[in-house]
Amino acid sequence: MNDFTSKQITLSADNLSIGYSKDNNILAVADGLSFRLERGKLTCLMGPNGVGKSTLIKTIMRQTPVLKGEIILNGIPIINVPLKELSKKISVVLTDKVSTGNLTAEQLISLGRIPHTAWLGNLSNRDEAIMERAIELTKTDYIRSKRLSELSDGQLQKVMIARALCQDGEILILDEPTAHLDLVNRYEIMHLLKEIALKEQKAVLVVTHDLDIAIDTADTFWLMQCGFPLESGTPEDLILQGKLNRLLPEGHLVFDAQNGKVQESKVMVFPEIKGDPIAVKWVQNALKKTGQDFSKSNLEIEIKSEPFQILLKEEKNIFYFSTIGELIQHLIQDHKVSLEENRH
Amino acid sequence: MVFVLGLFLCLICFWANLSVGSVNIPFKEVIGRFFGYQFSKASWETIVMEYRLPKAFTAILAGISLSLSGLQMQTFFRNPLAGPFVLGISSGASLGVAILIMAGSAFGWSLYSGGIGVWAIIMAASAGAIMVLLLVSLIAWRVKDSMTLLIVGLMFGSAVSAVISVLAYFTEAEQLKLFTVWSMGSLGSTQTDQLFGFGLATIIGTIPILVMLKSYNAMLMGEAYASSMGVNINRLRWGMIISTGVLAGTATAFCGPIAFIGIAVPHIARLVFKTGDHRILFPASALSGAIILLVCDAFSQLPGSAQTLPINAVTSLVGAPMVIWLILRRNFSKEF
Repeated sequence: MNDFTSKQITLSADNLSIGYSKDNNILAVADGLSFRLERGKLTCLMGPNGVGKSTLIKTIMRQTPVLKGEIILNGIPIINVPLKELSKKISVVLTDKVSTGNLTAEQLISLGRIPHTAWLGNLSNRDEAIMERAIELTKTDYIRSKRLSELSDGQLQKVMIARALCQDGEILILDEPTAHLDLVNRYEIMHLLKEIALKEQKAVLVVTHDLDIAIDTADTFWLMQCGFPLESGTPEDLILQGKLNRLLPEGHLVFDAQNGKVQESKVMVFPEIKGDPIAVKWVQNALKKTGQDFSKSNLEIEIKSEPFQILLKEEKNIFYFSTIGELIQHLIQDHKVSLEENRH
Repeated sequence: MVFVLGLFLCLICFWANLSVGSVNIPFKEVIGRFFGYQFSKASWETIVMEYRLPKAFTAILAGISLSLSGLQMQTFFRNPLAGPFVLGISSGASLGVAILIMAGSAFGWSLYSGGIGVWAIIMAASAGAIMVLLLVSLIAWRVKDSMTLLIVGLMFGSAVSAVISVLAYFTEAEQLKLFTVWSMGSLGSTQTDQLFGFGLATIIGTIPILVMLKSYNAMLMGEAYASSMGVNINRLRWGMIISTGVLAGTATAFCGPIAFIGIAVPHIARLVFKTGDHRILFPASALSGAIILLVCDAFSQLPGSAQTLPINAVTSLVGAPMVIWLILRRNFSKEF
């Protein structure tokens, strides 16, 4: 590690154990965690539900005690940092629902300045400037005077990110910020976070389950899986090393490095299909979903474009279909008939 | 601007409150008295100075105390149904007074012997409220979750009410009536010398609110976010327990368990001032609480008749339609 990268590290831990302890019962959720969080980078924390991602975030926020090891923030163990100082370094977007409809978006964003203001909470010129910058970055200017109850989920999430930005820490932690958002909002939020990491030189840590978008945007992946140490690295490296498969349960699912998607590991045997490769791919996709075994059938399919037409050669018969839907309908009916015959 | 208007309204209500009662004193005369003129009847001077003025001040102080405690509870527990009494303060005070008035006849003791002084009732109510609040606080020490604390408070309330029911069942009719009348609340039993104590307690109870004003705004987003913004939740919780204990505890000790004000006034303040910012909501609630209790007290005097209604009946009768009217004017679910 050279001098530059070590300066970029804001938060780090070695062999950390996290979990809960009550009286003398210790319930470790995850252990052996080692990580380095870097400034200017978007880091995606991924792993199955229940592996301890949220507990890790709570531990970093000091809401849950560390069981073993320590988390270091800029060279100081996090336990020795007063809560008030910590709030100036780390800001969060959580999954908790914020249901105070009486606040306007602007008022909510200004709450982010609470750690920095005097006891009455009045905003100074500097506070105002930081707030305007947060609003500008998240492009929430057009909704600033709307009440929270009038915002859509996507707008609300951007306002929450603006509030966290307004808190102006060097670390921004988000727990599933794209859960229950539509596709466009997912892309927008993740690209916004990427932009924040780059432009504002903040360390952004995002818990997410959106593998596709994460591969597109993240600089670093942290993979958590029960029984394995926390694996971190550039997403592309992890893909080539086959480590993304760790996120998937043993057996029926596998990460396909060819197309960057999670697929069933069972290799499907398709009937012979001729034609435009894109059309072939989607016909195969549809065939996959019929759940039929094509390995023993001697079907032949040919796809013609201009006009789109599908030819199906079955024994000596030839059928014509104008859509994939019709083809599938036919195959399913055939299949049902053969099942009936077998039963008699 | 709205505050200036509110203060003016409060002053009008204050004067109006002084002018109504079994003896009707013209509004003009009351205002005149404040600018140094004499009443045209000497008896009015006694009525206003000895009886109605302490009562009006009690209404103002109780209105402020209960509304401030109610707002704190609603924000801390993030529950629109929370009020000043969710931690068992009113049931504790009732238990204290119930034991003072009724335990004697129920168990054959002789605590009760004819007349009970106002001070004795205040002491009993305070002792009961402090006792129950201490028990709830002990549990608050153990549980970290605020919703659990809310449930514990409600459970204590129910248990204490059950004890009171047992006492009431075995007591004699005369004592039962005395207790029932106390539990309906009264603003009129506070005398001038007690008012200073009440005023002092209100000021003391307001201090934790002033110190932690910003924290209440952070609490709008819930405990986890508040803590991420540097709010010490534990300190806030103890500040809230102490503040509501002092505010609602004294109000209950001096006036009996006054219902409705503590729950409804914060909502009225939110609806009228259209904000969630506690820097505005706290003074707004205090002001609205004072105004509403003054109005309710004026109504309870049944102007023109010699009878008075119990204040508890009036707060709900006046307050409930008021809140419903406000809700119908705006969409309530979006406002909290």
